[in-house]
Amino acid sequence: MQTTKQTVKKRIATLFFLFCLLFFCLGGRIFWVQFVRGAELSEKALQNRMRDIPVESKRGIIYDRNGNELAISVSADSIYAIPAEVLVAKKITSNEIAHKLAEVLEMDEQKLHDRITRRSSFEWIKRQVEPEKTKILRELDLPGIGFTEESRRYYPKGTLASHVLGISGIDNTGLEGIDFYYNDLIGGTKGRIIIEHDGGGRPIPEATHKFIAPVDGANLILTIDETIQYIVEREIDKVFQERQAKSASAIVMDTKTGEILAITSRPTFDPNSYSDYPVKNRRNFAINDAYEPGSTMKIVTAAMALEEKVVTPNRKYFCPGYIKVGKEDIGCTDRKAHGSQTFIEIVENSCNVGFVETGLDVGITTFFKYINDFGFGKLTGIDLPGEAEGILVNQKNAKQIDLATMSMGQANAVTAIQLLTAVAAVANDGVLMQPHLVKKVIDNEGKIIKTMEPKAIKKVISPEVSSQLRLILEGVVSNGTGKNAYVEGYRIAGKTGTAQKVSPTGGYMSNEYVASFIGFAPADNPQIACIVVVDAPQGYPYYGGWVAAPVFKEIVKDSLRYLEIPLYEDNNSEEKVAVDNRVVVPDVVNLPLTEASSIINNRGLQARVSGTGDIVWQQTPKPHTKVARSSEVIINLSPLNPSQNDTEVTIPDLEGKSMKEVAKILADLGLHLMPEGHGLAYEQSPEAGKIVSVGSSIKVKFQPIGE
Amino acid sequence: MRLKKGPPDFALFIITLILISLGLVMVFSSSAVTANVKYGDAYYFFKKQLLWALIGIIAMIVVMKLNYNKLKALAIPLMIFTIICLILVLTPLGSSAKGATRWLGLGPIAFTPSELAKLAIVLFLAKVMEINIDKMKYFTAGVLPYLLLLAVICGLIIPQPDLGTAFLISATVFFMLIAAGARISHLSILGLAGLSALVGLIIAAPYRLIRLVAFANPWKYPSDEGFQTIQSLYALGSGGLFGMGLGRSRQKFFYLPEQHTDFIFAIIGEELGFIGAFFVISLFLFFAWRGFQIAIKAPDTFGSLLATGITIMIVFQAAINIGVVSGSLPVTGITLPFISYGGSSLLFTMIGVGMLLNISRYSSNH
Repeated sequence: MQTTKQTVKKRIATLFFLFCLLFFCLGGRIFWVQFVRGAELSEKALQNRMRDIPVESKRGIIYDRNGNELAISVSADSIYAIPAEVLVAKKITSNEIAHKLAEVLEMDEQKLHDRITRRSSFEWIKRQVEPEKTKILRELDLPGIGFTEESRRYYPKGTLASHVLGISGIDNTGLEGIDFYYNDLIGGTKGRIIIEHDGGGRPIPEATHKFIAPVDGANLILTIDETIQYIVEREIDKVFQERQAKSASAIVMDTKTGEILAITSRPTFDPNSYSDYPVKNRRNFAINDAYEPGSTMKIVTAAMALEEKVVTPNRKYFCPGYIKVGKEDIGCTDRKAHGSQTFIEIVENSCNVGFVETGLDVGITTFFKYINDFGFGKLTGIDLPGEAEGILVNQKNAKQIDLATMSMGQANAVTAIQLLTAVAAVANDGVLMQPHLVKKVIDNEGKIIKTMEPKAIKKVISPEVSSQLRLILEGVVSNGTGKNAYVEGYRIAGKTGTAQKVSPTGGYMSNEYVASFIGFAPADNPQIACIVVVDAPQGYPYYGGWVAAPVFKEIVKDSLRYLEIPLYEDNNSEEKVAVDNRVVVPDVVNLPLTEASSIINNRGLQARVSGTGDIVWQQTPKPHTKVARSSEVIINLSPLNPSQNDTEVTIPDLEGKSMKEVAKILADLGLHLMPEGHGLAYEQSPEAGKIVSVGSSIKVKFQPIGE
Repeated sequence: MRLKKGPPDFALFIITLILISLGLVMVFSSSAVTANVKYGDAYYFFKKQLLWALIGIIAMIVVMKLNYNKLKALAIPLMIFTIICLILVLTPLGSSAKGATRWLGLGPIAFTPSELAKLAIVLFLAKVMEINIDKMKYFTAGVLPYLLLLAVICGLIIPQPDLGTAFLISATVFFMLIAAGARISHLSILGLAGLSALVGLIIAAPYRLIRLVAFANPWKYPSDEGFQTIQSLYALGSGGLFGMGLGRSRQKFFYLPEQHTDFIFAIIGEELGFIGAFFVISLFLFFAWRGFQIAIKAPDTFGSLLATGITIMIVFQAAINIGVVSGSLPVTGITLPFISYGGSSLLFTMIGVGMLLNISRYSSNH
């Protein structure tokens, strides 16, 4: 008995020991949970109890180079529901809440009810709602329904520069263009309001509130100049509509810095309502698509030939109208023989035979070295999404015939931006600059966060060759195929291009062309370079010299004047005439009234305004005519608002315009057209600048178009 | 046997009062929010628990005065009464809550026969084991009869269903067999048998398996089986060293279910931190020390076994509860003695403590 009792006592002691062990383990476990995992668990617990309300950041503003707003952010209220709060509401049922919301927001009541009672902590009801509607809802003060300010992108200039600016989605993120490319910079960081709730969604007393303020996005200053962009869009619109082209694009670049002053493509779209347009309208052909450039590429062939001293400007060529390369036969336009020419002349005449010979003399290896140096076949690195690399002939498999066709601009596909960058390098003493669209990044106080300095990529040719080639290309405009690009008073250099389009099934299409013109000005001291590409223009002539060169001319003319680049004559004849008390009349057409008046006054002339409007439509006397100091220059404003008292009008310059256009212009002025012949206007009577009374008849002679 | 009557174990008495006081405070703190929402009265649970605590203390003092040897006579009738009650629970007389039928309505108050069963079986075993102490070495004569009785009791409790209490009673019986001197080899076999029975039960009712899996990886079932464990760990983890402060639990705001009953320890950990949790664990360990001390010093084997049984019943239940709350054991639905809200549980626990205190008055030291 005693032993049994002792056993019992021993066993009880053992049990106590076991329990000590058990509690020691439990204590350890509690310690582990509370200390080792404490931070993690308490954070998770807090997250579990927190309800988030997002607070959108404000997207940065996009300005043009002069500080004009191109894309801004406007605030709009968004409405959300906290389903848990909706469900526990006592004074009003979820059905009634849904009913009231549906009434104000004009939405489906059943769907709304499903959404506000969904098993989630947060539901959007409607984003970016009109202020009148949110006002009504705020007054209703529905339980579980809240409001938060969101910002929405607004592009105040509509279609202007739409391909550059891009589009933004409802979540305040950039989807295309600059808005996409620089989304991280200008998007800012979303903020949040966090409130601790109980398991039923009600706020807890002494609840943790956190407001994480959104960080507004930085603002961008583009290299784009709104005025030049406007000029470019106006001219591209014209050619795109008149020629019923598939697409058209143009770029204007600062040759010294690589800054893009303007860039556009047609068809276009309004980024504020982009969903109303076909998706293809958002394509920026100048960047996103490669094409076979044709003769404009001959500038690059000429540059390498001169740099490698394969040719001299006066080297003699003989063009019989075609040339044999291996078994193939390459011809000039319509196999027309150019006969005996110098190198300068083959460029002016865009002679295929001459360029094939030149290219073959350069050789495959050197040719590829230069097209690589000039940046073809790779990204220019322009700050826009979706840039195409283009497609080059594979150097390893390249044969003589490939070299021959490449020399005249076929076989390789390039983008407009690549070609313009290369030609700008020719203009810029041979230094290839990286094209770019953003000049500066600034914060809301205007402090500069970052400046994008011009970036020289490579010196591709020597300044001497650059200056030689500039003169030769000036000859193309003054004597050769590029006459339609000539701008009075300026030295313009450039090259036409008319390329047959490659058919999707292989080979070239016989009836579709890409008409283009590329050039720069002033030729002696280049400031801007410009490319105009018109894809598949309808009607004849389809040549670059006829389709693209006039567009180039208008863009460059207005841009140079806008940039106040001095006239060529200014440095020579004009100063001389100033001595004998006569001055040259400045060209103020298309300039804003105030600017035009000040230019005229500065010349020592007097401006007389006629009509109403802001932009100068016509002027009398004609630009560049010499008149006595203090003479009057009559400025006619917008033809769309002619002054009713006006009985006299100035006859516009009708040269080069189609009969339809001429008829419209004259009708707008209240004049009658007496046409003669067909084609484009080449002569008119009375001549441009004469003042006639309304109702007069104007004789205009038209002639068919040839290259 | 002539026994000298001394004062009861003062330490145990104090520990018990501290635990009950702490329990009252924590029941109020943890239930005020939900009680206010559900019943419009933040004191709803506190008031009921306070009433039961007073009844419990009176019962404890009454039992403490009562010579424990007189309980011997009560052992068999109480056992029979318990079995009848357990059977009645399974009849339409039993009332249900939260998917389990555990209560027996007696007028305005409901009582839980399984709580009575814990005490009844300890008392019954102490009496029978003392008589048959010499047969403990034999399996069929010494161990098997207890197992048969256990089988009957568990057979009645498990269908409620209340696996937790069945497990607790089995463990108490197991520990009492150890204390009474059963062979370790027999007990090992018993342990294995118990384990396989547990496995069998789990296979029989798949929800038990899911609960078992959920405790091991609660984040795999965050909205269903793992939910309670996750919320419990959130509460404990938020506490840190000093806690968020009394009354400042966040998890009690409709996140942690059963926050004033099964998971009250988590709220203690959250509001009072590791300091508070460690204090509670220490109190129970202290309670175990005093309880086993009383068992060892008891003048007779009946007293030893009764004290051992009661101590184990209380302390082991506390250990399991803390194990569940800390995510170390599957969720069983067992409350924390003295502290969790629950009238019957508190009353029977206090009666048990009364018996312990009574035994302590006859300690061989006196």
